[in-house]
Amino acid sequence: MSEVAERAVQNLRRRDARDKLMGRTRYTIDRGDRGMLHAALLRSDIASGKIRRLDVSRAAAMPGVRAIATAADAPGRAGLGIADHPLFATDIVRYCGEPIAAVAADTEAQAKAALAAIAVEIEPLPAVLGMAHALAEDAPLVHPDWPSYELLHAGGKRGGNVAWEASVDRGDVDAVFARDDVTIVETDFEVCRQNHVSFEPRATVAHFEDGRFHIESSTQVPWTVRNTTATVLGIPPSAVRVTVPPVGGGFGLKFDCALEPFAAILARKSGRPVRLVNSRREEMETCLFRENAQIRIRSAIAPDGTIAGREAVVLMDCGAYGGEQVFLTTMTAHTLGGNYKLGAARIVSRAVYTNTAPNGAFRACNGVYNTFALERHTDEIAARIGTAPDAFRRLNVIGDGDLGATGQVFEGEVLRPMMAKMETLRAQTPVAPLSDGRLHGRATTVGTWFVFTGPSAATVNMNADGSATLVTSGVEIGSGSTQQALPQIVAAILGLSPEQVTVRAADTDAAGYDVGVGGGRTTVSLGAASRTAALDVRTKLLKVASDMLEAASEDLVLADGRIEIAGAKGSGLSIAEVASHAQLHLGPIAGTGAFAAANTPAMAGCCAGHFIEALDIPVFAVHDCDIAVDPDTGHVEVLAYRVVQDVGKALNPRAIHGQVQGGVVQGLGYALHEEADVGPTGQIRQNSFETYRVPLAGDVVPVAIELHEGAPSIGPLGTKGAGEVPILNVGATIACAVANATGKAVHALPLTPPKVLALLLDSAPPPRFAHIKDRHIDNRLPPDF
Amino acid sequence: MTIRLTLNGEEREFAAPPMTPLIDVLRDDCHLTGAKPVCREGFCGACMVLVDGIPTVSCLTPIALVEGGKVETVEGLTSADTPPPVQAALEAHDAVQCGMCFPGMVVSLTHLTQPGECDASRAAIKAGLTGHVCRCTGYERIVDAALAVMEGRQ
Amino acid sequence: MSPLSSPAIIVPETLADALASLAELGADGTPLAGGTWIMRAPLRDEPMAHAYVALGRIAELRRIKISAKRVEIGASATHAMLAAALERCDDLAALRNAAAQSANPAIRHAATVGGNLCARRFPAPDLATALLGLDASVEVADAAGSERLTMEAFLAARGALGPGRIVTKVIVERTGHRSAHSRLPLRKAGDYPVAIVSVAVRLDDADRIVEARIAVGSVEGVPRRWTALEEALAGQPIAAVDVAAIARPRADRFTGRDGVEAPGWYRVHVLPVLVGRAFAALTSAAT
Repeated sequence: MSEVAERAVQNLRRRDARDKLMGRTRYTIDRGDRGMLHAALLRSDIASGKIRRLDVSRAAAMPGVRAIATAADAPGRAGLGIADHPLFATDIVRYCGEPIAAVAADTEAQAKAALAAIAVEIEPLPAVLGMAHALAEDAPLVHPDWPSYELLHAGGKRGGNVAWEASVDRGDVDAVFARDDVTIVETDFEVCRQNHVSFEPRATVAHFEDGRFHIESSTQVPWTVRNTTATVLGIPPSAVRVTVPPVGGGFGLKFDCALEPFAAILARKSGRPVRLVNSRREEMETCLFRENAQIRIRSAIAPDGTIAGREAVVLMDCGAYGGEQVFLTTMTAHTLGGNYKLGAARIVSRAVYTNTAPNGAFRACNGVYNTFALERHTDEIAARIGTAPDAFRRLNVIGDGDLGATGQVFEGEVLRPMMAKMETLRAQTPVAPLSDGRLHGRATTVGTWFVFTGPSAATVNMNADGSATLVTSGVEIGSGSTQQALPQIVAAILGLSPEQVTVRAADTDAAGYDVGVGGGRTTVSLGAASRTAALDVRTKLLKVASDMLEAASEDLVLADGRIEIAGAKGSGLSIAEVASHAQLHLGPIAGTGAFAAANTPAMAGCCAGHFIEALDIPVFAVHDCDIAVDPDTGHVEVLAYRVVQDVGKALNPRAIHGQVQGGVVQGLGYALHEEADVGPTGQIRQNSFETYRVPLAGDVVPVAIELHEGAPSIGPLGTKGAGEVPILNVGATIACAVANATGKAVHALPLTPPKVLALLLDSAPPPRFAHIKDRHIDNRLPPDF
Repeated sequence: MTIRLTLNGEEREFAAPPMTPLIDVLRDDCHLTGAKPVCREGFCGACMVLVDGIPTVSCLTPIALVEGGKVETVEGLTSADTPPPVQAALEAHDAVQCGMCFPGMVVSLTHLTQPGECDASRAAIKAGLTGHVCRCTGYERIVDAALAVMEGRQ
Repeated sequence: MSPLSSPAIIVPETLADALASLAELGADGTPLAGGTWIMRAPLRDEPMAHAYVALGRIAELRRIKISAKRVEIGASATHAMLAAALERCDDLAALRNAAAQSANPAIRHAATVGGNLCARRFPAPDLATALLGLDASVEVADAAGSERLTMEAFLAARGALGPGRIVTKVIVERTGHRSAHSRLPLRKAGDYPVAIVSVAVRLDDADRIVEARIAVGSVEGVPRRWTALEEALAGQPIAAVDVAAIARPRADRFTGRDGVEAPGWYRVHVLPVLVGRAFAALTSAAT
């Protein structure tokens, strides 16, 4: 197979680039249809309240209005882990921006005018706007009926405002911390929310035809949209077809069902296609943000510099509904619990309900801030015990055969050689000394991420003209995986050029189930399914060719669009000849492939409430930077940024480099610029591009990149996901470098100029969370039994 | 109100309320969906078009103010199937990801890479791209492509 | 996003027509220049006006007249036009840089001097701050005639010009001052500055400060002069004076506005640094 792997490697260009550059690509927001209606949502403007009256009769009589939907039209509740989320606020409003009603009208202006005519009275209730309040003993419950919700995943503890709790207990942590020879280091960290700011907002066009829904949507997860729409509408999933035009950016925002059910209901009620697109302000205020989080880490360091024990509490604000956060509690064990060998470990990760917009998934979800906390904590440990940070890391990073936090056995020596490569890369890319009074800082950090494996399906149709068609539910969200890696894999196996492999856009009526595009899984999971499907086709082609050429299958070679007898070039047939022969005499050739998670085992009995107990494919990253801090204004300038990334096998190195550059810059936004938080009324304060600052061209540098190949992977041809991980340790690296430059402890992100200046002035007290209890056990829900 | 303008080289007439943002007329009435309404506040650059040769944010331009003017959208910059130098360079540098920002980026770069508009330096190009946000690519390949166009021109 | 009720636009070709239209419309009419502020009214939850009178086609309002004694800037001149026109006016470097650095290139091509002065709730106007430092005057006209206001008087009345009245031009007397503009965005560029300091200084033959005018923008809701610092700098030799050190104890004259992007204390805290930078630019420009 290694020959195929080598053949698959190439810097293939994207086939969708030209139309995108000429303005011809039609994203969901660009689609229209004859007779299409425009929909708008009435959203709550208060954070917590009881709906006393909702009267849509006047709105229904407004000009152009064709349909109105309310909670009565959507009886089901959806969720991930817990079914806690109705489509419309039903009796209770739980966050600012929560949908209450939906209107479809001939024009968008008419739909909005009708919204204003809906009579709604909401009696305010006490709102829980932060986690400290949510965890207070007398806190109002965001979901008073939580015990009655259907449980969709067994094992997680929950109660009160704790939507979900996942925990790890490995070894006797109390005994380690009680030792008199250990050094104990404890740190609290805090991060705010991050908005994806995908350029295409969440958008959908729904049709109701022949008794079925057809939903075109800007989504990363067509199958989730199909199934969730069915759940909330109370219809069979087979009644929903989802297709996905090119997606204008996702980054995790579109890893959940969003506007689709509203449009679907309105399409059914009106009998017309219905378009629903979030305004930018709606996007900003109801973004499924990267969650704000509060973290405490305590470590016990043995005299030999190893980590004898570690305990941690991670509080993740899930907002008003659990959503993806319930699942993401699982990641703390692998991110905050990652990177280093731990003698004993005790970690709890809790998704906490608040009366704020629900949070969701965002590139390297959970990992970004846990890596920040872990790496800053690591630097504080090194300082405390008087060791150089790099030396401490080299001693303690996970190596071949080491146990992870959940007791998983890691294979291969990966991080240490990557750190060595970083030393070389650093030496190759020096920065000039500063002579302008600014403070220089540098840092190297390590990070552990994973590939979200999970089920995928693929079909490859071999066409009589010698081309192949790859059919999957893979969505092109911009990363290029479906345009580059997937056809490269199929082509390499079939002896074609990637241009000869047509890639079918996602359609749940055409392709089998897929978890979705995210979690770095496209090349791995869809790639593995595509590889199996292509191998199936290859076997069938060879069998036909073997009959036609009267040669044994194993003596045949596929390359350059031909099937040759080995060692006798020109002796064989073109693939088109073989495929058309097959089509005529045996029927067209097709192959299918499937993939599922390997479910790598953790140590028995040490995990509770986890969706993933061990990583099928760990992915490691080493980042390094040089920065300058302006002591007068607190501005941080990145002088150099370097990445050594574990990619398993790089099928399209140039595409991966593009992902690294883009991911690092998104991370720089998180580290330095992007701030999103909840105001006193429960509204997100940053509701525009003016107030939410993403990095611009002038704020970034070209990233120096080295791809580390050869680490073990169950991915096809040895690949790992490469698009998600580049953002993982940017916050960590910048924070460690700012601490290095200023001599101040950095315990919060982002490091905007006012925040850095406050650090320099010692005017911002470090976070210290009274609602995280000193005794670890007091941060856990009581046992169920 | 009837508005007359030259759109991508063609004389056109529209009936639209005069304060309608140009971008809405382009997208909804002319079906030119290349320009994207992303922020609608002049900060992202995705809706950039040329008005009388000058890059203009079409989200903040009332249609009445371009009466009699010459508007070119990203679609109008490509007359045939062959991409012009800016688009070709961006394609060759594998700069595109989700692509939503590129119609606006291409419009500004078409202007910026004209002789005398901008120094052929990374810093000058980045300054010229202030007001354009790209959330995917981290910008540097866009700068590479612009430099390549400027250097190829000399 | 289209406004629900569609406002009208009148596009006059002459100033007299514009003033007549505004007079006729009274409180229903609002002047419209580049549109970059007004078109965002819906995002600020502000209603649109019933009718707009566009000023962009009026040639005399777009004119920039430069003589040795003064510069007269038509209110409809854009930031880009102004920056280009002042290319050789080093004494007005503050205004030139304010025009050249604000917002982003496309906005600078659309946004006008008059718009910058009249955008009511906009707290971070580079041009208004620079013009305050340059002690400019503002000509305000209506159908009945025109009057001149000092920048200070104009800013005090900003947003309350009254129906039918518009800014027609800004006059900057060239009085032998040197000037510099120092702004602090949070990113490298492209956002509104969290603080602006624009200075104009006249020196005697011994390079001592005869007069320093220091305007501070974005720190409070409306730009204003830093008179305590101006007084303290009078008579100081410009080459030797540590402006930031003198400024530091006088920064508390300002009450910083808390905004989503930056807290008030930060805006005030950086003022001495910004004024230091502005003075550094003055002296480096002179050598």
